[in-house]
Amino acid sequence: MSQPLLQVAGLTIGFTTYGQRRRVLHDVSFRVHVGERAALIGQSGSGKTVTMRAIIGTLPMPPAHIDAGSIRYDGRSLLDLTKAERNRLKGTGISIVLQDPLLSFNPVLTIGRQMDDIVHFADLRQGRSRSGTDRRALILETLAKVQLVDGTRILDAYPMMLSGGMRQRVLIGMALLNRPRLLIADEPGTALDVTTQAEILALLNRLVTEDGLSLLLITHNLGVVREMADHVHVMEHGRIVEAGPRDAIFTRHSHPYTRRLMAAVPPLYGEAVRTTQNHRDGPALIALDGVCKDFMLRGGLFNRITSRYRAVADVTLRIQPGDIFGIAGESGSGKTTLAKLLLGLTRASAGSIRIDGRDLKEFAGTEAFRRLIQIVYQNPGSSLNPRRTVAQQLAVPLRFTGHEGTAIPQRVAALLEMVDLPRTYASMYPHELSGGQKQRVAIARALSVNPRILVLDEPTSALDVLVQATVIDLLHRLRTELDLTFLFISHDLSLMRNFCNRVAVMLRGQVCEQGPTAEVFARPKHPYTRALLSAIPVLSEAEAALKPQVTQAERDAVLATTTALIPADGNPQDRNA
Amino acid sequence: MLPYLLRRTLSLFFVLFGLAILIFVIARIVPGDPARIALGPLATAQQVAELRADMGLDQPFLAQLGTYLAGLVQGDLGTSLLTSRPVLDDILAALPATVELALFTILLQISLSIPLGVLAAVYRNTWVDTVTRVVSLIGVVTPGFVLAIILQLLASYTVTIFPVTGRIDPSLGFAADVTGLLLVDGLIAGRLDVVGDALRHLILPSLSLAAAGIGQVMRITRAAMIEVAGRDFVEAARAYGIPERVVTFRYMLRVAAVAPLTILGLEFASLIGNAFIVEFVFSWPGIASYGVRTILQKDLNAVIGVVLVSGLFFVVANLIIDILLGFLDPRHRLQLGARD
Repeated sequence: MSQPLLQVAGLTIGFTTYGQRRRVLHDVSFRVHVGERAALIGQSGSGKTVTMRAIIGTLPMPPAHIDAGSIRYDGRSLLDLTKAERNRLKGTGISIVLQDPLLSFNPVLTIGRQMDDIVHFADLRQGRSRSGTDRRALILETLAKVQLVDGTRILDAYPMMLSGGMRQRVLIGMALLNRPRLLIADEPGTALDVTTQAEILALLNRLVTEDGLSLLLITHNLGVVREMADHVHVMEHGRIVEAGPRDAIFTRHSHPYTRRLMAAVPPLYGEAVRTTQNHRDGPALIALDGVCKDFMLRGGLFNRITSRYRAVADVTLRIQPGDIFGIAGESGSGKTTLAKLLLGLTRASAGSIRIDGRDLKEFAGTEAFRRLIQIVYQNPGSSLNPRRTVAQQLAVPLRFTGHEGTAIPQRVAALLEMVDLPRTYASMYPHELSGGQKQRVAIARALSVNPRILVLDEPTSALDVLVQATVIDLLHRLRTELDLTFLFISHDLSLMRNFCNRVAVMLRGQVCEQGPTAEVFARPKHPYTRALLSAIPVLSEAEAALKPQVTQAERDAVLATTTALIPADGNPQDRNA
Repeated sequence: MLPYLLRRTLSLFFVLFGLAILIFVIARIVPGDPARIALGPLATAQQVAELRADMGLDQPFLAQLGTYLAGLVQGDLGTSLLTSRPVLDDILAALPATVELALFTILLQISLSIPLGVLAAVYRNTWVDTVTRVVSLIGVVTPGFVLAIILQLLASYTVTIFPVTGRIDPSLGFAADVTGLLLVDGLIAGRLDVVGDALRHLILPSLSLAAAGIGQVMRITRAAMIEVAGRDFVEAARAYGIPERVVTFRYMLRVAAVAPLTILGLEFASLIGNAFIVEFVFSWPGIASYGVRTILQKDLNAVIGVVLVSGLFFVVANLIIDILLGFLDPRHRLQLGARD
C-alpha cells in the first residue's frame, strides 16, 4: 500500500499537574491513508481528544509532555518540525472541525471576519498575498460548497444569528477554506438535532469523496461511525484496544470493551429492543387540555410587545400513574417549556393543567405541590452547587419539608443507598464525582421529598453510553420500588423506544403524534416522526432496513432549513442547545 | 440601538431629577442653620432672620422644593452663600479642572491596567504574573489619600521634577478659555510649554486617583482573559493557524474586555467622589475642592449643585460604557431573546 497520509506510531503522552505525573496515552498507533475515513471511538477520558490535539499541535505543553512516539504527516515528522514549519501546516495540511457549533466561534466577530482571518493568515504563512475581494470570492465559494445559499448575508451575520445546523456548515467551511488534505472532525453533529446531524454527516461524506480528503473522525457515537468510517480504532483508557475495518468491528469484534460499548447502545429496532409496560388505568395523574404558552418579544422606545412567539400550542395529554411518558422533539420544539409549565415555573397562556385531580393554578408553589412533582436536569455539573457537599445538597429540600436534627443524616444515607452510592459520598463535593455519580446525586435530591412524579429533562444526554445504561437501569428500579411516574424529555429516540411506554412527538410547539411507544415506532403516521426515525444512525444494516421511509417532499415540509438564514426576529430556537 | 439610546437618555433625566429631590430633602433635614453659619456667631438674631427670609428658608418645605425645582428646570441652581455668585457659574469655573483630572486618570487606568492584565494572563504563573499581581494588590489596598501624601513627600524631597500643588505654573500666564482643559487649550494655542507643565502637574494627583482602579481592573482583565483562553473558539483559531498575537488581542481580548470595561465605567463614575480628598491634598482647583468648602459652610445650593454634577458624571459614564459594550459585543446590541 502507498505511504499513509498520517501515521501515528507509539504515541505516549503524560500530564504533569502539581508535580504528579499521569500517563494519558499509551503507545497509540494508527494510520490514515489518502482518501480514507478513519474513526477513533471511545468514551470521555479515553484519550481521543488528547490524540487529536497532539496531531493538530494545540496540546498545552506543559502540563502535557510527549514521552515517546512519532506523528508523521505526508512523510514528515510533525514533532520534529520547527514551530514555523508546523504552523504552516495548520489549516492548510491538517484542519479540524470542532465539536460545538456555537462555542467554536468567536461570539463578537462576524462570520465573514473570522473566515477572512483564516485565509489571510494562511496566505501570510505561505508567503502569498491575495486581495480582499479574492479572499471574499474564495469564502463565498466555500460557503456554497457546504450548501449554504445566501453567503453574502451569512458573512455579515454574527454566530448567534445562525441556527445550529448552519453554524455547523460554516464550521466545516472554515476547515476547508485552505484546502487541507486531512480533515479531523471532533464529534461532528452530535451537538445538533438528529435530522440536522444526518444532513451534516451526508455533507461530510460527500466532501471527502469529491475533494479526495482524508478524514479522521473522533466520536463516541457508534451509529455515526457506522455511517462515516472505513476503518475503526477503539480506544479505552488511553490505549487502542481494537482496530479493524468498519464491518469487522461492527460484526466480529472480539474485545470485551467493544462488546460492552455496542451492547450499551439502545437499539431502535430488532429483537434486543426492550418494551416498558404500564397496565394501570383509571383517572389520569397529569391531564393537559389545550395548553398554550406564548412568549412576548419586546422592543422599541417604550418596551412594547413587538411580536409573540407560541412555544407550546394547544397541547392535550393524559399521563397515567406509573407511566414513563416520553416527550420527543428537537431543540425549539417546546418540550422544555412544557416541563416548566408542569412544574409551575411558568404560567400557561391558555388551557388547563390538572395534576392528581387538582388544577395547577390553585396549588402551584404550595408545599403539597412540591412534594408531588420534582425535576432532574440535563447537566448535573451545573444543576448541583459546586460549593456544597452531597449531604448539604440533599439536606436543603429535607429542611423545607419538616425534617430536623438526626432525621436529616439518616434520610441522606437512605437516599444515597437508594441511588446505589456509598454512604461515604455524603461528604464529597460534586467535582470529586464522575458525571454518572453526579446525576445519581441529582436524582437522590429530586427523590428526597418522596415525590410521585419526576420530570426527567434529558437526564442522560450529558453522559457516556455505558454510564447512561446504568442510570436508566437505576430509574427503572426506582420507578418500581417507589411507584413513580416519569415524564421523560429527550431528543434521543432510540433511548425512548427502550425506556418509555408512551411517547408524544413535538413539532414547533404542537404534539404531532402520540401513542404507545411500540405502536408509534412500528407505524409512525406523521411525516415528522418518520423523518426523525429515519435520521437516527443505527448499528446494523438490519436495523437500518426497518427504519420508516420518508420522501424528500415530506422532509422539506416538516424540517427547518439549515442552508439559509432564518429571519432575525424568528423563533428563539437553540436556546438550550 | 437607537430606541435603546433614546430610552437611556430619557431615563437619565428622571434619575437626575430624582437625585435633585433626594439631595434637597437630605440637605434640609441635617441639623444646623445655614444662615447662622454664614453670618457667624456675632450676628444678631434679626440679621439671621433677614438672611433666612432672603434665602427663602422661612417658607414651608414644599414651597422651597417647588421654587428650587422650577429654577432647576431653567438651569438656575441658585446662589452660593460662600461666594455670593450663581452656583452654576462656580461649578462651570471649577469643572474643567476636575474633568481634566478625571479624564487623564481614566486614560492612565485604561492604558496601564488592561495591557498589564493581558500580560499577566499570557505569562500566567511566571514571574511576570507574580510581579504584576503583587503591584496590583498594593494598588488596591492603598487608599488614594495615603498614596497622594506619599507621592507628595517623594516629589518634595526625592524626585523633584513633579510639582506638588495646583494645575499649572502661574508664571506661564496662560488662561484656558476655549475648553477649560489645559492640555487641549495648550495644544490649540500651540503652547507646548503649557502642555508640558500641565502634564507634570497632572501626574501625581491622577496616579493617586488611578492606583486602586488600575489594580482592580488589571486583576479582572487577567481573570477574564484566562477564562476566555479555555474556550473552544480560541483552540479553533489556533488550530486554523491564526497567529498568537491576533488570537490574544482580536479573539480573546475583545471577548474578555466586557468585565474590565464595566468596572472601568464604575471606576470613572466614582472618580469625583474619590477626587474630593486627592484634590484637597494637591490643592487642585476643581469641583471637589469647591464641594468640600461648600459642605463645611452648609452652603445648600452649592452642595446640591455639586452632587448633581457628580450624579451626572455617574450616569453619563455608565451610558458611555453601555454604548461601548454594545459596539464590542453584538449580543448587547441586538438584544435577542424572549421574555415572559
